[in-house]
Amino acid sequence: MRWTRVRELVRKEFIQLFRDRKNRPLLVIAPLVQMILFGYVVSTDVRDVSLALIDQARTPESRRLIDAFDGNPTFRVARVLDHPRELDRLLLERRVDLGLQIPPDFSARIRSGETAEVQLIVDGSMSNMAAVRIAYATGVIDAFNAQLLRELHPARIDYGEIDGRVRTWYNPNLDSRPFYVPGIVAFLVMLLSLLFTSMAVVREKEAGTMEQLIVTPLRPSEFILGKTIPFILIAQAQMVMVVLFARVWFDVPMAGSAPLLLAASSVFLLSTLGIGLLISTVSRTQSQAMMTNFFFILPFFMLSGFVFPIANMPEPVQWLTHLNPLSHFLVIIRGVYLKGTGFAVLWPQFLELAVLGLAVFALAIRRFRKRID
Amino acid sequence: MNPRRIRAVARKETFHVLRDFRSLYLAFAIPLLLILLFGYALSLDVEHLATAVVDHDRTPESRDFARRLDASIGFDVVAHPPTTAALTELLDGNRVVLGIVIPPGWSADLKAGRPGALQVVVDGSDPNTGGNARAFVTAVVAQANQRSLLAALNRLGRGPMRPPVEGRVRVWFNEDLESRNFIVPGMIAVIIMIVGALLTSMVIAREVENGTMETIRALPVTAGEFLLGKAAPYFVIALVDVLLSILMGQLLFGVVMKAGFWLMILASTLYILVALGIGLLISVLTRSQLVANQVAVLATYLPSLLLSDFVFPQHNMPAALQGVSRLVPATYYIDILNGLYLRDLGLERLWPSFLTLAAMAALVAALNVRALRKEGL
Repeated sequence: MRWTRVRELVRKEFIQLFRDRKNRPLLVIAPLVQMILFGYVVSTDVRDVSLALIDQARTPESRRLIDAFDGNPTFRVARVLDHPRELDRLLLERRVDLGLQIPPDFSARIRSGETAEVQLIVDGSMSNMAAVRIAYATGVIDAFNAQLLRELHPARIDYGEIDGRVRTWYNPNLDSRPFYVPGIVAFLVMLLSLLFTSMAVVREKEAGTMEQLIVTPLRPSEFILGKTIPFILIAQAQMVMVVLFARVWFDVPMAGSAPLLLAASSVFLLSTLGIGLLISTVSRTQSQAMMTNFFFILPFFMLSGFVFPIANMPEPVQWLTHLNPLSHFLVIIRGVYLKGTGFAVLWPQFLELAVLGLAVFALAIRRFRKRID
Repeated sequence: MNPRRIRAVARKETFHVLRDFRSLYLAFAIPLLLILLFGYALSLDVEHLATAVVDHDRTPESRDFARRLDASIGFDVVAHPPTTAALTELLDGNRVVLGIVIPPGWSADLKAGRPGALQVVVDGSDPNTGGNARAFVTAVVAQANQRSLLAALNRLGRGPMRPPVEGRVRVWFNEDLESRNFIVPGMIAVIIMIVGALLTSMVIAREVENGTMETIRALPVTAGEFLLGKAAPYFVIALVDVLLSILMGQLLFGVVMKAGFWLMILASTLYILVALGIGLLISVLTRSQLVANQVAVLATYLPSLLLSDFVFPQHNMPAALQGVSRLVPATYYIDILNGLYLRDLGLERLWPSFLTLAAMAALVAALNVRALRKEGL
């Protein structure tokens, strides 16, 4: 192993990368654009639920129920309708999320001590949000009931109310950004290191310069180091850039320690660079390499818990996620960002990531040697 | 426009696709994988949340409360940590997302008619799960209170009491509230962008990089003919992908289209044309496969995933991005898919989206012809 040879290759790689003027904006602009996109877009918050209502009772009680919905910060009465058929149309055209229909006998039934049924019609197409909307809407009705019952029976009732004091930890306002922004950082590091490593090697093959490299005294291990070091540096630099950007632009602070995060990303890069090299050994053209990359990136992305919680997956798939480096890195980066947890809590992820990375990298080197020899 | 020349270009491109067997194989494997994953493994529906109950009260009532929680589909009580510190550890280590602390003397307070404080800690880091957890737990508490209020009124001798108002919930369009029913159709839009735009983004850049563009310039083929010929094989691949996705969604996951099949084919055709057009345009303009690939990811794949109303609702976005999302073809395709799959809508309601996709296809084709003419075709 001669370090001068490695250094020369690293230098060549950097020159090649920055010589092409089109590459330069890609290295800086692409991650920032993705950051902005994800940061603003990725949100499944349930707020500003638009409500259409049909009040067929038009009594003080029905108006109070309407006020209860209107006064709730989650709901916004968007339309007041006369006929149920109009509600059908509004729901079909996705103009409202929820319809509330108060029947003509609403007050009469309440006053006679019976139960008055109101209809809640929910657009279920986005089921996760619909479920929360239903829970909120029934919550409004429950609160309304409690109030009515107390008024209907003015005598003092001591019934021992459960006082549920809900506190939300780590992300008290349930903001989407503190959750997704660290995820984007992880995803970007993966995307870049996978794509660029594999493309950089395959480009030599496609251009025929691989032959030339093989006849130089460069050893396979030196070649691998020379090809991966530039991307380790670039990926780490990009990560720092993206983290700073998240701090300044999105105001997403990091609760935990930055050195721990850098250490984690170094371990993480071991597996992504290894996979990148593996892809390059099985690809002849850049187009092939790109498609193969996507074959890895998509499942990694989907099965990482980035958007779709791992806890929601069937058990066999949950086991599979242990083979996904991104899922471990996400736990670490989210732990560091949101919970401020340290190595004491996160060591299992570090361990799995390291084992995974070493295995993949060793495999890549072995395959690579064979190819070159 | 000479059909013979179009056929010649298409033939050459087809050979190219067939010879690069793995790209072709991936063009079919990726959609299969994605549909399988999405249909089988991925869900945004929050059920069986891992819950820990710290029971300092240790009475039949407190155990009954924990049992009721466990029995509801929202929660699974997986741990009974002895102390709040142990609960914190579970929350820190992502073992549970919800913690409930029942203080000592809780049920005695309730029986005596005093309010009994219940501490609920929600892990809010994932806002989707956390929001669901918070809403569900609040509902469980409200229902328990309503039950005991009614029981108290009964004891006062007011006759059998009933809650005054009951909300009858009806869910439309996705009656079982399964996220699969909107994710699988939406996935088709993302798949086509990946296969259509990413594959074609390499096509012309490859000719430029290999120097074969010179040869093509010398041929009597016009820009329009070249474009059609280049797009033809990828059109077939993408259309087969659509059919595969529809079929798999239906057979494996029971995600059935409510409206017409031919409308779906028409919409997909328009959308594929847009996707291929964008890919080719990127290819002509960037002239490098690596750059083309990166630009294609940025310009096609990510917007279709993020801005198209697929999983992330557009009305949660800031106004500027809502404007941008109107320029994303997938927005209109997903609108159509949503209408066809879930709402059973016809052309009389969906025509604006069809028209927009057609206009986009025409615009992208025109831009392509211009760019190719500049290249000397």
